[in-house]
Amino acid sequence: MDSFFIRYRNLLVLLAILVAQIVGLAVQVRRPADSRGSLDPKDSSGVRLIRLWAESLVSPAEQGIHYSKLGLEGMWLNYLNLRHVREQNQDLQKTIGRLQLEQAALLEDARQGQRLQALLDFQQKYIYATLPAQAIGSSGSDQSRVFYLDKGSSDGLKPDMAVITADGIVGKVRDVFPRTAQVLVINDQTSGAGVILETTRIRGILRGDAAGHLEIVGILADQRIQPGEKVLTAGGDLIFPRGLPVGVVEKVVRDPDRDSFIDIIVKPAAHIDRLDEVLVVTSTEPRFSPQEQQDLATSENLKGAEAEAIKEQAKASQIMAERLPGLIDPNLPPDQQPLLDTSNPNPVAHPPAALHPDRFSPGVPAQAAPDTQGSSKPAEPATSPREKQDVAPVGKNGAIAPGTGPKPASKPAHPPKPVRNP
Amino acid sequence: MSVLGANFRRDMEIRRYPVLVYALVPLAALVLQAWLPRVLGPYAWFDLPLVVTVYFALGRRSPIQGTIMGSAMGLFEDALSHHAVGINGIGKTVVGFIAASVGVRIDVENHTIRIMLNFLLSLLSSAIYVFIYRILLGLDLEWRWFTELFRAVGNSLFALVLFPLLDRLQIRD
Repeated sequence: MDSFFIRYRNLLVLLAILVAQIVGLAVQVRRPADSRGSLDPKDSSGVRLIRLWAESLVSPAEQGIHYSKLGLEGMWLNYLNLRHVREQNQDLQKTIGRLQLEQAALLEDARQGQRLQALLDFQQKYIYATLPAQAIGSSGSDQSRVFYLDKGSSDGLKPDMAVITADGIVGKVRDVFPRTAQVLVINDQTSGAGVILETTRIRGILRGDAAGHLEIVGILADQRIQPGEKVLTAGGDLIFPRGLPVGVVEKVVRDPDRDSFIDIIVKPAAHIDRLDEVLVVTSTEPRFSPQEQQDLATSENLKGAEAEAIKEQAKASQIMAERLPGLIDPNLPPDQQPLLDTSNPNPVAHPPAALHPDRFSPGVPAQAAPDTQGSSKPAEPATSPREKQDVAPVGKNGAIAPGTGPKPASKPAHPPKPVRNP
Repeated sequence: MSVLGANFRRDMEIRRYPVLVYALVPLAALVLQAWLPRVLGPYAWFDLPLVVTVYFALGRRSPIQGTIMGSAMGLFEDALSHHAVGINGIGKTVVGFIAASVGVRIDVENHTIRIMLNFLLSLLSSAIYVFIYRILLGLDLEWRWFTELFRAVGNSLFALVLFPLLDRLQIRD
């Protein structure tokens, strides 16, 4: 028996190690019910321990190499930049002055937007705190699209925080170690983000395919979606704040599994293959300085006082309306309206009757006034063609023919010009 | 006559290195494998841990040591990714075992043979990786044969430079 183990010890060791790893794989694979070719991203404690060991072993050296590279680059760039530093400094001073003015204006806009948001009870999230971090290493495998940051839990990073650049979103923090963090890039197969198309407002889920392309899956075929349309975060995934740029639509292809659906291939806005500096969104809750909070409180108080004043004014108007006599009471029959009440000590004043009624007097039907001065012939009305249109034909009894009179104009009717006889 | 036996010949040809080399070279391979793809982007067609595994397995000529080393390197690679731990581990375990087993029977001083072996074992490692990923785990994997071929060529080029350098670090009596 001993000779068997000695003779086949190499194979036995190989088999033992292979079996142990296969069993370990089987334990790790917990496929979610709704997954499509992906694994459960959560690690067990044992696997996380192995990852922690590997990260602790590799990250210090990676950081050393990365910062050495940055130092050398900095030395070289500093040497090059010294040549025109004075002119650049003057330009920058001017730029700072201009940006300070712009910042003041933008801060005012932001405060106004915040007040409006609070008034309308929007639940939209904004970025209020970010932490800059350096990408120091990758997984080393082109099938695992993750990279490592030089900031970890000691810097306040937590899993599921969004990672962005000025160009667009990059990914989310997948795992956090004391001094480093692992970021899952958005073009990985296990990644996902809620997005919305800027123009058509179509929502979808962004994910990476096996080749590392970004695609929005599960979209009903829509011919409005055209290449070049911007894609933004929708904010519904509780990871990425709303409105961040994701990329642009590169092309639209048919979903190979479902006929009426399409996949949208997206060109990422951020350079996710070459990342050096990124921003980790550490807070999406409002955080204002004490001065800004005081300003907001003052603004809210002013708005409250204004609303109270309007309410008081409306109440006073209602009381006055109740005290004043009404001209028309909807609850009374027409013959008992207050307007006809003779017992009213302050009756409504009617205009006095005209001594010489003419066509302008109230109650006199409009008609062309005959010219009584001059010849007995009826005078031709010396009116313009426009005025001719406004003058209605008059019947024998002086009534205006129905349907032929001037239309009730929205503007006040002008009195016809007096007839001038030569 | 026993000094001319197979065991004696193998013992004479076993390469020995300082302990620091055993510790630092694999570590350097893991660090560079994690760092260089950031610099080279999608053109990082190499697998330094595999090259180091093949080198030590061929030099040490011990299948058990080759198996253990390949397993450790693969597991560390897996641990740095977000995939299940063991995918690379299984592939490199097999590669380490085969390299050490072949090393017993061939002349490891010949550079051409070592580089050819490196090329073939790189292809074998890629095939095992694809097998585990697609068949064993049933996951989607964008697999291009020419990418794996380029990776094997890249490993051979690295081996062409790295093997002579590492040969200088061995302990000579």
